[in-house]
Amino acid sequence: MEQFIISPSSGIPIYKQLYSQIERMVLNGYFSVDQRLPSVRQVANDLNVNPMTVSKAYGLLEERGYLTRLRGKGMVVTARDNEVLQQEKFTMLDEMIKELLAQAKHMGISGHKVAQMISDNIASNQDKPEGKE
Amino acid sequence: MACIVNVEGLTKSYKNQSVLNQLNWKIEQGDVVGLLGKNGAGKSTLLKSMLNINDIESGTISIFGEQYNQLSTASKSRIGYVPQENDEISWLSVNDLINFRKQFYCTWSDEKVTELVSRWEIDLTKKISELSPGQIQRVLIILALAPMPELLIFDEPAASLDPAGRRDFLKEILALVSDESITVIFSTHITSDLERIANKVAILDKGQICYFNDLDVTKENVVQLTVHYQPEQNITIPYLLRGKKFSQGQQGIVSQLDQAWLTKMKQQAVEVTINPMGLEDIFLELTA
Repeated sequence: MEQFIISPSSGIPIYKQLYSQIERMVLNGYFSVDQRLPSVRQVANDLNVNPMTVSKAYGLLEERGYLTRLRGKGMVVTARDNEVLQQEKFTMLDEMIKELLAQAKHMGISGHKVAQMISDNIASNQDKPEGKE
Repeated sequence: MACIVNVEGLTKSYKNQSVLNQLNWKIEQGDVVGLLGKNGAGKSTLLKSMLNINDIESGTISIFGEQYNQLSTASKSRIGYVPQENDEISWLSVNDLINFRKQFYCTWSDEKVTELVSRWEIDLTKKISELSPGQIQRVLIILALAPMPELLIFDEPAASLDPAGRRDFLKEILALVSDESITVIFSTHITSDLERIANKVAILDKGQICYFNDLDVTKENVVQLTVHYQPEQNITIPYLLRGKKFSQGQQGIVSQLDQAWLTKMKQQAVEVTINPMGLEDIFLELTA
């Protein structure tokens, strides 16, 4: 049984926390294509949250093409074009980079410096076995 | 969705102390509403007034479309209420109290009673007066849930429960509200409970429901903003509750996130960082 982690007292609504967690789990292959997600009731019961919240997250994931609602089976991971999937991954990383650059800017560090730091990190990671692609 | 509770112009005071002042509140079927308010804000007074336990000075209240003080027996049996303080007959044993209360209802689930009594390890032979506050609260909850009500009103339901007891109580409420026709109103100080189970949050302050909105919408709108701009730029943040300026901009808390303003800022290349806040902080800000 997949256990999602939520923090109810966070300022981020619970449905959004669930949404981004599942989005990531789909993109990084934790949930494979056609895999069935736990039911709304199951997740609500495990996390002690209102079932409406879970439905809302699932609904949004369905709307954005990550999940497909199957009659009698609940939600399963949508089979999608590799190209589309790749694009989703880029979009997610792009948002993280924007955030990183904004933070750097506040500290008075240029984008070029950040790019250089990223290159340096890649270079030093290549020495390690897990850095292999 | 049908309107389950409709309060209009409710006014109530104790001696010369005004508690509720022209209060309006409308609750729809299927809503799970968390009611927040400072100590003495009048949360219990409001809930008791709705149930005709308190006299009111003026205003109209309707429940299930009927006038609150002329509810039919059928409508009354559809309401479950857990008071903040035990007002049950304390010399009765738990078993006698349950049987006594059962007589008043045409729907009563013995199964539910048995299940909860064993899960919450309640000694049926003990007198109410011999129970701890936490055990009394559990008995009151059982009494409220047994008739399978459609409208549940809880006044600080978790106040005397320990964390495990609270979790278990939350589970029970969550199981109930998976039936979307059931409406729940509960007052609380424990905002994390509210965040888990409510879909709407109401704040009672200065005699009125000063805030009532979807919980998710609330978290997305009542936020802290950091706006970075040059000293020569003159930026006014809309819906600002309070804020302070610093050399490179302004930081503040808004009661509503103005999307049109955000777009305008983007066009002007003004950077706005949005920091969400938990409900406890939101409550404190909105009632400051």
